[in-house]
Amino acid sequence: MLEEALEHLVRGIVDYPDDVRVASRGLRRGRVLQVRVHPDDLGKVIGRGGRTARALRTVIGSLAGDSYVRVDLLDASEAR
Amino acid sequence: MTHGEDTLSESEEAVPVGVADDADEVDDADAGIEDEPAAERGAPDIADLELEGEIAADYIEGLLDVADLDGDIDMDVEGDRAVVSVVGATLDELVGDNGEVLDALQELTRLAVLRQTGNRTRLMLDIGGYRAERRAELTELGTRVADEVKRTGEAKALAAMNAFERKIVHDAIAAAGLRSESEGMDPNRRVVVLPGS
Repeated sequence: MLEEALEHLVRGIVDYPDDVRVASRGLRRGRVLQVRVHPDDLGKVIGRGGRTARALRTVIGSLAGDSYVRVDLLDASEAR
Repeated sequence: MTHGEDTLSESEEAVPVGVADDADEVDDADAGIEDEPAAERGAPDIADLELEGEIAADYIEGLLDVADLDGDIDMDVEGDRAVVSVVGATLDELVGDNGEVLDALQELTRLAVLRQTGNRTRLMLDIGGYRAERRAELTELGTRVADEVKRTGEAKALAAMNAFERKIVHDAIAAAGLRSESEGMDPNRRVVVLPGS
């Protein structure tokens, strides 16, 4: 559910919604959601001073409740 | 309301569209209260505001769907801004402590509107009646402090608030016939109520 929520939130604010991919990986404690966006959209999802990234993390963190979730924002062209 | 609906963010203007910085919508309300007269940009008309409301409602509805949350969405236009309100039983996690999740969602929603219309919006998102309740509390606070300052003749500084909250307090104080200013820098910016002369 968190992946879909994050994907929805990000797709709504970028210029290339079809390029948005969210992958989830387990961490030792909690998980990490990796969001990949079109290179031209990376600045947009981070926002000035990281403000948009912070907003995304705040919403996802709240939906995650007590479990730990990290949100990473990546340029889709980055290998990984 | 004696102040116009003027805000710095509205009068700054002419920010190019499409760069990440746009995203950074300046917080509403009170910044320009004492100085700039109302917006230089033509006020958006009702059809624009309704469109903003629809885009915002779609964005929020999509979130409710994937998060499996139940809520009814109402759209409204209040003065020169669109208001989208979500009411439902179990929406606390979308409000958060002191409304921080709500503020984050409002910011994202405004970005979603910006992406589709190309224009910044002052759209207000309310969830579970949080803002409506906060507004009533702050109006009462402003009225009460205005009375106190009239009685004592001494200026009084209030607790730090965000721009939306300060605007409500300024309005309540003006309605009570006193003047007020904002002092300090966010997030410590606060309203100071001035005694009448």
